[in-house]
Amino acid sequence: MAETARTTGGGPGRLLVAVYGIFALAAGARAGVQIATRFEEAPVAYLLSAFAAVVYVLATVALAVDGPVWRRVALAACGVELAGVLIVGTLSLADPAAFPDATVWSQFGRGYGFIPLVLPVAGLLWLRHTMRAARRDG
Amino acid sequence: MTTVLSTSIIVVALLAALVSAVTAFRNRPMGVADLVALGALEVLLIVQVVVGFVKLSGDGGPEDGATFVGYLLGVLLVPLAGAAWGLLERTRWGPTVIVVAGLAVAVMVVRMNQIWDGTVG
Repeated sequence: MAETARTTGGGPGRLLVAVYGIFALAAGARAGVQIATRFEEAPVAYLLSAFAAVVYVLATVALAVDGPVWRRVALAACGVELAGVLIVGTLSLADPAAFPDATVWSQFGRGYGFIPLVLPVAGLLWLRHTMRAARRDG
Repeated sequence: MTTVLSTSIIVVALLAALVSAVTAFRNRPMGVADLVALGALEVLLIVQVVVGFVKLSGDGGPEDGATFVGYLLGVLLVPLAGAAWGLLERTRWGPTVIVVAGLAVAVMVVRMNQIWDGTVG
């Protein structure tokens, strides 16, 4: 595993990319349908869903592709995602009326088995792990 | 949707996940057993597409037809993506991805049933 630990998309990273890919697809498709069919019902929630989808797509690609720039993109995407799930999660509990329809990040991603909360943390840990491995191996 | 077909798909998806979990646990790359399980799952999902469209053309489809069709077709890609990953990543992490793929298919089929019954929006 030492030989794959340096790249973000190899070894255990594939698992991360796969889960991110599923979420990119699920959030993207959901946001697309919501915006296309009933945007006026809950514009804030649906725009948030769309934003979350974009972040997931970015994170998926950035983790899958190697290179210093992509690593920074992945770092930013995971960071934004963690901030998003924490902020939206807190707001959705504090002021449920502002979120008439659920987003991926509502209630800390409860509708998705809290995976939206776990995923960015796993992503950030994995990025740190691969960065250290790359540095150690030169 | 038909309960028998949905249940069969969920069972086979979980079995495929289990087979690949064993492969990953044994620290092997994806093998024939993983591919057979994925193949069986894909065949059932194709049957589901046919049954789904036949039922949609009749009465009593779901309120949210677009989402349902999205799931119906989208779920087809999941076992294929799992297999592709298993071919690319010739370590235990290939079958680990297939575990996720199997679980994802099971969740998606549960969700499709909810959409069909209109129990969630």
